[in-house]
Amino acid sequence: MTQLLKHALGRLLFLPLLLSGVCGSALFASSHREAPLIANDPLADNTDLYAFRSPDDPSTITIIANYIPAELPFGGPNYNTFGENIRYEIHIDNDAAKPGDEIVYRFTFTRENEDPTTFFNIRLGKQNLKTRFKLERSIDGGATFITIVNSGPVPPPNIGPRSIDSGAGLNSDYEAIINAAITTAATGEKVFCGPADDPFFVDLGGIFDLGDAPRQNGNSRDGLGLYNVHTIAIQVPISLLRKTGAPTSPVTILDPDYVIGVWASASRQMVQTLQPGGAAPANSGNWVQVSRLGMPLTNEAVIPIGFKDYWNGITPYDELADTSLDGFFYNPELALYMDDDLFGGAVPAFAALRIQRNSLQSFDFGNGKDGLYGLKGNAALAGTALDDAVFGTLLLPGPGKPRSVDLWPIFHTGVPNVRPYQLATGKNGNPLAAGKPFINNFLPNGGDMLRLNMAVPVTPRNDPKFSSLGIVQAAVLGLTDPAYNQNTSIQAIPNMDGFPNGRRLEDDVTLIELQAVSGVALAAIGLWYDDFTAASTSPVTPDLVNVLSYRTGVDKNDKPFKSSFPYVASPWRGTEVGQ
Amino acid sequence: MFKLLKFNKMKSILKHSLAALFLLVSLATATASSHREAPLIADDPLADNCDLYAFRSPDNPNTITFIATYVPLQLAQGGPNYYSFGQNIRYEIHIDNDATKPGDEILYRFTFSQTNEDPSTFFNIRLGKQNLKTTYTLERSIDGGATFQTIVQNGIVPPPNIGPRSIESGVGLGTTYASLMSNAITTATSGEKVFCGTTDDPFFVDLGGIFDLGDSPRQNGTPADGVKCFNVSTIAIQVPIATLRKTGAPATPVSILDSDYVIGVWASASRQQIRTLSNTGVPAYSGPWIQVSRLGMPLTNEAVIPIGYKDYWNAITPYDELTDTSLDGFFYNPELALYMDDDLFGGAVPAFAPLRIQRKSLQSFDFGNGKDGLYGLKGNPALAGTALDDAVFGTLLLPGPGKPRSVDLWPIFHTGVPNVRPYQLATGKNGNPLAAGKPFINNFLPNGGDMLRLNMAVPVTPRNDPKFSSLGIVQAAVLGLTDPAYNQNTSIQFIPNMDGFPNGRRLEDDVTRIELQAVSGVALAAIGLWYDDYTAGGTNPVTANLLGVLTYTTGVESNDVALPATFPYVAAPQSGTGSCGGSIVTATTDIFQGGGGLGLSQKPVLMKNYPNPFSTQTTFHFLVNQPTTISVRVFDLQGRYVTTAYSGPQQKGEFKYTWNTGDLRPGMYVANLYDSNGSLLQSAKLVKPE
Repeated sequence: MTQLLKHALGRLLFLPLLLSGVCGSALFASSHREAPLIANDPLADNTDLYAFRSPDDPSTITIIANYIPAELPFGGPNYNTFGENIRYEIHIDNDAAKPGDEIVYRFTFTRENEDPTTFFNIRLGKQNLKTRFKLERSIDGGATFITIVNSGPVPPPNIGPRSIDSGAGLNSDYEAIINAAITTAATGEKVFCGPADDPFFVDLGGIFDLGDAPRQNGNSRDGLGLYNVHTIAIQVPISLLRKTGAPTSPVTILDPDYVIGVWASASRQMVQTLQPGGAAPANSGNWVQVSRLGMPLTNEAVIPIGFKDYWNGITPYDELADTSLDGFFYNPELALYMDDDLFGGAVPAFAALRIQRNSLQSFDFGNGKDGLYGLKGNAALAGTALDDAVFGTLLLPGPGKPRSVDLWPIFHTGVPNVRPYQLATGKNGNPLAAGKPFINNFLPNGGDMLRLNMAVPVTPRNDPKFSSLGIVQAAVLGLTDPAYNQNTSIQAIPNMDGFPNGRRLEDDVTLIELQAVSGVALAAIGLWYDDFTAASTSPVTPDLVNVLSYRTGVDKNDKPFKSSFPYVASPWRGTEVGQ
Repeated sequence: MFKLLKFNKMKSILKHSLAALFLLVSLATATASSHREAPLIADDPLADNCDLYAFRSPDNPNTITFIATYVPLQLAQGGPNYYSFGQNIRYEIHIDNDATKPGDEILYRFTFSQTNEDPSTFFNIRLGKQNLKTTYTLERSIDGGATFQTIVQNGIVPPPNIGPRSIESGVGLGTTYASLMSNAITTATSGEKVFCGTTDDPFFVDLGGIFDLGDSPRQNGTPADGVKCFNVSTIAIQVPIATLRKTGAPATPVSILDSDYVIGVWASASRQQIRTLSNTGVPAYSGPWIQVSRLGMPLTNEAVIPIGYKDYWNAITPYDELTDTSLDGFFYNPELALYMDDDLFGGAVPAFAPLRIQRKSLQSFDFGNGKDGLYGLKGNPALAGTALDDAVFGTLLLPGPGKPRSVDLWPIFHTGVPNVRPYQLATGKNGNPLAAGKPFINNFLPNGGDMLRLNMAVPVTPRNDPKFSSLGIVQAAVLGLTDPAYNQNTSIQFIPNMDGFPNGRRLEDDVTRIELQAVSGVALAAIGLWYDDYTAGGTNPVTANLLGVLTYTTGVESNDVALPATFPYVAAPQSGTGSCGGSIVTATTDIFQGGGGLGLSQKPVLMKNYPNPFSTQTTFHFLVNQPTTISVRVFDLQGRYVTTAYSGPQQKGEFKYTWNTGDLRPGMYVANLYDSNGSLLQSAKLVKPE
């Protein structure tokens, strides 16, 4: 434990050099049409990013990047597919000491018409807009690339039985087409690019009607149910992903050498020139990033509209020098709607979500309040992540920035296994004391990424303790389940492999992020809700129960996931979906 | 060369027709509208034309209403950045009223701009402020696009119909969507009535079926309207006929088919040629404007033009088609006809089985792809004075052998149909299709290529007329052939639905069906070129084949929501929180599940209820961790006690109680769960709708 702490602190020492901030929790749900400019360029629009240890092959990590939001399964005659002249990229950082990405996977696509004489997409065994991909990999930060898949197949749209199954069409079977499209790269990665059911789930209509989730009047609806996306899935051996010099097997299940940061992007060339006569536009100039995605919902529900396009245009590494965005995490807009002194009354659906305004009868995390800043310089902070001597002013940058200790680091650095970022279990009422470890995805390398500790064991999807609440559920178990709350030693708690430690397809990130805005991460480490008082027998107070039992009304995908790669469900068929 | 010839011919023909009879052409076509219809534009939704309508306004017949829709398949729930018109795009409606003058006579150009009233939120609407708030400028040119005058400045585009909290409540805009829409109707300085905004997509088609190799109506399963529940961005403009008719036309039409009252209409979207992204992805635009999308007749580029030519088709104008030689073949021998011909691929598309093309009409004429159609009559004296007479029209309608549909599909899409032999109904022809018959259409304007062509002199069929039909001109033909009110002589007479597609296009017109029927030869039949199962000289041309074609349906025949009776005639957009805003969630995570792990077990009792909202009863489901006496008491929102829903002792475990709400008045309530000490354990909101 001491060893570990030292190790972690050693890592943390890099922090002030690299960044200007650290740690913890997150907000809302994914990234469909999330910024004005990219909403008008669907082909290049990142929708979601997932990174998880593969349940059926735990020596690998599966990364899934989705693009092109809300595709209609019946969107003929020109069904959606990946765009040409776009670089779709997955970026991986495994070493905060080195600037920028360590590994980049770059996917580019070409389309071809096999039979330009028909208006049908598929006819008599021929397919139009038939798409293939090239996959290149860089392991030197993007300086050089080698091609590891040449001309990989992309399955056709799942138009319907006549086009796919019948002799007038492809005379095939859609599952067989998907399986045939799974390719192994020259360097060992398993790859799939193609249409898929959108694995994300959220009540778009309710939540963007001024936060009406769960709906106060009427049924909640999955706004992405029955729609498809285009998926890029890649399964990479952990041995290829871990940082140079990491031990071949992890020292602990929270080994800091096994943390990776993952983000995805889409880029276009700077100049597009339309051609007369409907010829394909000419593209030239430098490549410019037009969309990116790391943590779900950052640009959907944390960044306000005035900064969304800017956010899409910069990289996580650019956030190191940026100063315009931090405030949206220190004082998030969503928190306004969970605070009765602000606009809490205006969003009745969030009534169960209230932020600590008087935690331990001392700490106010309401927007504009000081949170833990009052402890600044206090000797009690010595050796914790909040110690100025260790981290400078990253986590306590000033007054009036209450969420600098939870939301900001969750989105910017990941969370270290360092006091106070351990569960309240074993802390004996002092949140700053050592507690039960539950997360270490600390990689202080820049800004918004999914950060995954690859050493954390997989929770089987059929485990009775598997939960779409991810780390929130791991925290609950570590606090309340006798199997996990007896001591402060490092122990695998189910769902420690869940969001925000990476992101599994099942994780209900909308719910988790709303709970996080409502202070659930603070509660987990012992900064209980206001109704926990000296007289309380249990910290599981009605306020905490309200937050934990809050639901958005949509908490799982409309189609079951597959148990093997690429895990996403097959795309909805154009003829099976009708409104 | 040929097309230049075509152009000159058209012009000379037109003069000729003014002097004497007229000219050409005729009738039918292919499948349904223009959503995502070509590869390039499918990737640029903001500039994608969906549909175009042009009809005489039922409630104001002195005017014509044009409706051009853009931005296909908008999700009602598409937040946080809901859809609107795009900036840096020219959305245009083009009108030609005089074939002797090259190019457009009138041009309406709409451009849009957006501002954020509150850039500090991720919500689109909050506290009376709206982001991506859109306004428009409307300019008009009456000199073929050489100069423009601004006729609407800062026109209002209503916000997206996000839901009741954003639109109606005090934390939103505090208004109603209906008033937002009606406030957005503007009168231009030159007299036109204008509306630009998101609306329900008035089009209807079984996209999923028809593009699965023509499975419409579905042979297995239920047809589904693929654009149901989706919104589009609508430009609607109502223009006085006096503004639209050609210079020199009489102030009132000479007849209901007055050829001076024909206009051609098409819509387009253009972008500047060069888009330059900044280092952070912000685009700047420069260079000349390039047309990236256009639309005239529905479904031309969706189901007539094959994929290899779709992008090209979008980039040229109807006037460019005069010199083009690459596209005519798709009308002479349309792909869809392959699937209606048992000698070709008819057997491969069972859904089209009732649609069969004349292969031996009047025991003589074969209109199958690659066959000669009427070409065998070339030079025959029987053609004298008809539109097929070489002396009158040159080789336009009979350009050569192997082009059977040069006499019907080609002219319907390229010139409109004149009121000239043989393009009159078989009524009164006494079995000779080339004889004079009952007039039923004259939308002839030989000015170029693909447009909607509308004769504005044709009276309006009231939408509540029992004879009103979404089959448009096909139905007018049926009435003119079979209804004693219209089939007694060959004089010009208003037949209901003569104001329907392809004489313009009304919102109600089922153009998918009409065009499929047209490909199947229904226009040929209407003028007396009957189906193969009619024997020349027989008494009844209404044969089984003809009935098969006339009763064919795609299974989706009308829009999913009712159309308003007044401008802009299209329905309000679907609400993001309404029944179109996503799929119903049937099961959500049980709050009891994992209750122990969540620490919830430390509560003595947990409660949930369903359904909620409810009408007459709701079931309370309890998880009891500590035996106690519980009660559920119901209060109104003012905190006044209403009733006790349940009360009684309970052992550890789960149980359910169904509460009959009896005479509980509709409204919102709070159900409080108490233990035996009277401690409040939990509150639940109850909703009983009106």
